[in-house]
Amino acid sequence: MADSVAEIQKAKKLYTLIGLILFIFTGVTVAVATVPFLDVGGHGFDSADMVLGLLIAAFKASLVMFIFMHLNHEKKLVYFLFTMGIIFGIFLMAITAWAFSDPIRYGKGTTISEKSGFYNPERAPAN
Amino acid sequence: MDIPYTVTARKDTGLYNAKVGIWLFLASEVMLFGGLFSGYVFLRVYADFPWPERALPVVPGLINTFILIASSVTVVFAWAALKMRKWRQFQVYMVITLICAALFMVLKAVEYNAKWTHQAVRMNDFTVLEGHAHKFTIDDSGKIKHYHPGGHDDGHASNQFEENGMFLVADKEDDHGKSSGGGSKTEHYFNQVVFEADKITVDLERFYAPIISDLMEQAQKQGREIRLSKSVAGRPDAQVAETILAEEGDLLSLGLLKKLQGIHLDAKANNASVRTKQNREAWAKLRGGLSRKERNEPSYKIKDRLELDPKFDEFLVETSSSVTFTIEPKVTFVLKPQKVKEGPTSASFKDGTLLGGKLDEKHSQIEMAADAIDFRFVAQRAEEKGIDPELAIQNTWLMKNNETVRELWEVHNKHIAELEEKLAKKGKEPTDTERYRMGWQELVNIGEGKEVMDAFSGFAGPVHAIGEAKKSHYSRHFPEVVVPREEVNLESKFTPRWNNYYAIYFLITALHGLHVIGGIIVLGYFLFFGKKMYLNNPERLANRVEVCGLFWHFVDLVWIFLFPILYLM
Repeated sequence: MADSVAEIQKAKKLYTLIGLILFIFTGVTVAVATVPFLDVGGHGFDSADMVLGLLIAAFKASLVMFIFMHLNHEKKLVYFLFTMGIIFGIFLMAITAWAFSDPIRYGKGTTISEKSGFYNPERAPAN
Repeated sequence: MDIPYTVTARKDTGLYNAKVGIWLFLASEVMLFGGLFSGYVFLRVYADFPWPERALPVVPGLINTFILIASSVTVVFAWAALKMRKWRQFQVYMVITLICAALFMVLKAVEYNAKWTHQAVRMNDFTVLEGHAHKFTIDDSGKIKHYHPGGHDDGHASNQFEENGMFLVADKEDDHGKSSGGGSKTEHYFNQVVFEADKITVDLERFYAPIISDLMEQAQKQGREIRLSKSVAGRPDAQVAETILAEEGDLLSLGLLKKLQGIHLDAKANNASVRTKQNREAWAKLRGGLSRKERNEPSYKIKDRLELDPKFDEFLVETSSSVTFTIEPKVTFVLKPQKVKEGPTSASFKDGTLLGGKLDEKHSQIEMAADAIDFRFVAQRAEEKGIDPELAIQNTWLMKNNETVRELWEVHNKHIAELEEKLAKKGKEPTDTERYRMGWQELVNIGEGKEVMDAFSGFAGPVHAIGEAKKSHYSRHFPEVVVPREEVNLESKFTPRWNNYYAIYFLITALHGLHVIGGIIVLGYFLFFGKKMYLNNPERLANRVEVCGLFWHFVDLVWIFLFPILYLM
């Protein structure tokens, strides 16, 4: 952690730089989404745009986390707490995602998984 | 007693306590927003309607992103200033941070307002219309005056203009010589069901006081009286002969309804207990007077009939479950579409209250200046059923009944054909949104005879009046669309009611906004009440600011994901 005045002065320069990079990449996100020339993948919004948009967002987020939130030099406990938060967050998403493989039938032969196209008839229980 | 480890680090954690606390909190926040983001993903994957992709105006969101990043930098600068013991510098950076936060909330409010005042209509054939419904006022005699934004009404020019759903010029003229700013304020209605009623039937068991009060209030405003159409007679007591419970001509009041309700419910309870006794006795007779324990096998056969003793009937009482009132002369009721189910000669409320009379079809229909005509839902439904989308669109009510829309669609298709040709060279094709949705820029440009498809954009949504138009009686060429109410499947503002996208949009952004407000309160506290701690223990204040700064960065972090997901995808 920056504690001496000189170190803090140095850190302030870094913060300004990171701020600038964040500004620029915000512009980039908007540009790739709105300027037809920069459109990746097919015309209009598609999965390529989604991946690119999320990658830029993840990059920006990691800059905020590592520099502004000092995660580049923290104590072990902080990493532990934050990682656990992320793991449980992903776990929460996974629970919802398991609805895809739900074998319970709703009405006549339709499960959520069938509707979504993730249905595997071989694994389906006999009615 | 001093709170331990506010400045020095604990040996086992290596951190001062507040930092452990904020990271625990942030971990829980990650899970909270993670859950909401996964909610968004699943709503989108399972959406059974065309997801409004890239539907929000980007500029306010972009500015808000810049604002939050800037405030993230200044909050870390404020902390650095404290570390270097520069109170003045700390104050400056903190003030900038707070101004940024406030600006963020103001922009959010502008965006929310644009959505709350923007009308959307989904028709039975899944055509979607967006725009601004025309407004009307109703005077004391129940006469309706219709306004067209920027248009003319009964020969009088109206000075109403809309921008993002807000009227820029207030209503100054008044046909009855009264100033609308004075004692009697004219209420403006948008998109309401207008019903001329001469009869109200109230269900005594289920009536809901606020609905009745609203009706009474409207009738009173128009100087009408709601009176009982005929005397209510009944026999609330079995020992007494039939009596008059309420006289013909009695004024409708909640007191009267509650009195009749009480009598009716008492009578109902009385009848129920009499019937129970009667049944019990009949069953006992059938069982031969034996109790269930005493008899080993049923003493009755299935075909045996229960014989009810008629002597009980004289204990039954009679009251009516509903009362009917008449209104003389008629009252023009203005009713919220989501609260009433209307027909040509009757309108019913959820509590069973029934209005008799005539639906004012002309004023009940949805008249709007459409700033988007969207056939994506029609096309999606058609494709699901294996029908040609174009054929389905040609067969929609709007295309069959509105010539302007037909003309617009023709021009739109010409544009799309050109676009298709252009994209085909690169092996690409137009999106569904381009193909099946006529957005507001396109509608205006076609209306004004311009060839450009996308030349300007509004700040938080469609702009209905520009430049000189705000002063003169001119508004942009938005197609006038009139839709009868029976063709409407759902009408709503752009609120969670409209679709799941707006539900999750408002949920996440509002929760994020609450975090911003929380940050403003805590950072503001350090700015305005931190001086004392700065003088006593500056390092502790610096740590406090650092901890709150961590929270502030997290708020920024969430927005960094929210902005592309909600605005650009």
